[in-house]
Amino acid sequence: MAETSGLQAPLWRAVAVYRIAALVYVAVLVVRNVRDYERPMLVWPVLALTAGWTVFTTYAYSVPSRRKPPLLAADLLVTMAVMASSAWIVGADALRHGTPTLAVAWHVAPVIAWAVAGGRRGGIAAALAMGATDLIVRNHWDQAAYTGTVLMLLAALAVGYLVGIAEVSQRRLERAIQLEAATRERERLARDIHDSVLQVLALVKRRGAGLDGEAGELARLAGEQEAALRTLVTGRSAEPVDERAEVDLMALLDPYASATVSVAAPAGAVRLPSRTANEVTAAVAAALDNVTRHCDPGTKVWVLVEDEPESVTVSVRDDGCGIAADRLAEAESQGRLGVAQSIRGRIAELGGTVRITSAPGQGTEVEMTVPRS
Amino acid sequence: MVVDDHPMWRDGVARDLAAAGYEVVATTGEGRQAVRIAAAARPDVVVLDLQLPDISGVEVINGLLTAVPGVRVLMLSASGEQQSVLDAVKAGASGYLLKSAAQAEFLDAVGRTAAGDTVFTPGLAGLVLGEFRRLAVEPAGDDGMAPKLTERETEVLRLVAKGLSYRQIAERLVLSHRTVQNHVQNTLGKLQLHNRVELTRYAIEQGLD
Repeated sequence: MAETSGLQAPLWRAVAVYRIAALVYVAVLVVRNVRDYERPMLVWPVLALTAGWTVFTTYAYSVPSRRKPPLLAADLLVTMAVMASSAWIVGADALRHGTPTLAVAWHVAPVIAWAVAGGRRGGIAAALAMGATDLIVRNHWDQAAYTGTVLMLLAALAVGYLVGIAEVSQRRLERAIQLEAATRERERLARDIHDSVLQVLALVKRRGAGLDGEAGELARLAGEQEAALRTLVTGRSAEPVDERAEVDLMALLDPYASATVSVAAPAGAVRLPSRTANEVTAAVAAALDNVTRHCDPGTKVWVLVEDEPESVTVSVRDDGCGIAADRLAEAESQGRLGVAQSIRGRIAELGGTVRITSAPGQGTEVEMTVPRS
Repeated sequence: MVVDDHPMWRDGVARDLAAAGYEVVATTGEGRQAVRIAAAARPDVVVLDLQLPDISGVEVINGLLTAVPGVRVLMLSASGEQQSVLDAVKAGASGYLLKSAAQAEFLDAVGRTAAGDTVFTPGLAGLVLGEFRRLAVEPAGDDGMAPKLTERETEVLRLVAKGLSYRQIAERLVLSHRTVQNHVQNTLGKLQLHNRVELTRYAIEQGLD
């Protein structure tokens, strides 16, 4: 868990601030209590070491790459050593009568450092080790003594928990930033493509459209690519969502636009529940597929999406061969008309209606209306 | 007059227009310059690329209409970005065509624009239909000012969006070709009028004269 997440930096600063404040507290207590100590002269080097270690760790922990087990272990051991020296300097007698150790409050700093670096487990381990040292040094086994250790444990737990949350949020933040960068890149590409490739393809298609043979074929190919690319760069994004959520129907239908398929729709998003949108899209795909299979190549198709307050209507019209009315009914009654059936089935399931009109030579129109909910 | 920032396109379109008997009075690749030149060149029709490097399509159209009142603007765009097409039409453009349209289709569109007709693609008809629906369901704080289409106009616009030609529509609805044309033009007129009313209302609310 020792990865360097951006939200950990403030926690490390907090540890440093805490350590400095605790150092001041230790110094004040030492000055006040020094005459009660057993070996008062030795307290000054220890206090100097405490101050030195505070400065050193503040500096050492400021660089993420140094927040590793060796430094953390040294921090814990040095602090324990300072605390242990109290037994000798302050004296067992004074300690038993409630005089604080030379590391009072200051000894919580490495525990919090462990919690920040190692989460809840690291925090608890350090708190137990430090608490045991504290109890042994003071040789003072009452409720007040235990309370200190328990508080330290709780603090370690809380900080460890906080670090866990910080890491999760950090990961989410990073993902959001990545997504945003990807979107921006896509927009940049779209601009570039619009400014260059699309224009040239459209030009090739336009100038070659009247030519015969290979040139005409090239122009037709350019036209197809132009339409596909245009759909790609202006395409709306269909965010993955669950069944009940709403999606933009156009995000699903726009990709069907091509040199022969025109898709007309309102400027804004056409919101439909995800399942409805998918079924409507499948029905449109079936209708388009039917046109490619039964009509001459190059048959034009127009898709119109109308967004009404209560319902959404999608019409698919082609200028192809058309079907005689009696043939349509006949085929349907024999269960042969797969397309009509698949479209009718899908739309009926959504509580919608389908109207198919056709006449020989006049193309076919499929009009599907589905309720909003 | 041809306004397009893509030199190959600009020249190609100008050549085609000249070959078809039109007089190309000016070409340019920038919006601001287009407005300046138009004031002097006084074109009847401007063929305008919707995405110019300096200013937006709406700004160019506003500038052109101020500089040359009554000028007809036929928009072209390569990417068919829907909202900007709709905004440009509301600002007063009289027609719209995708750049991938065939040459004959393009020349026909210029001819119709020059004659004062509206040039609608099925896509534009879908956008306009959607816009009227949006205005209709918008919160009615507009003291009932939201423009509405007549049933006939809606019917005609739907058929345009489904790719029928004016002739086919006229046949199907038993109308004259001219009447169909007028219906289409009216829908655009209503939208542009509503846009101007909205802008004026906004200006008054903001305390501008």
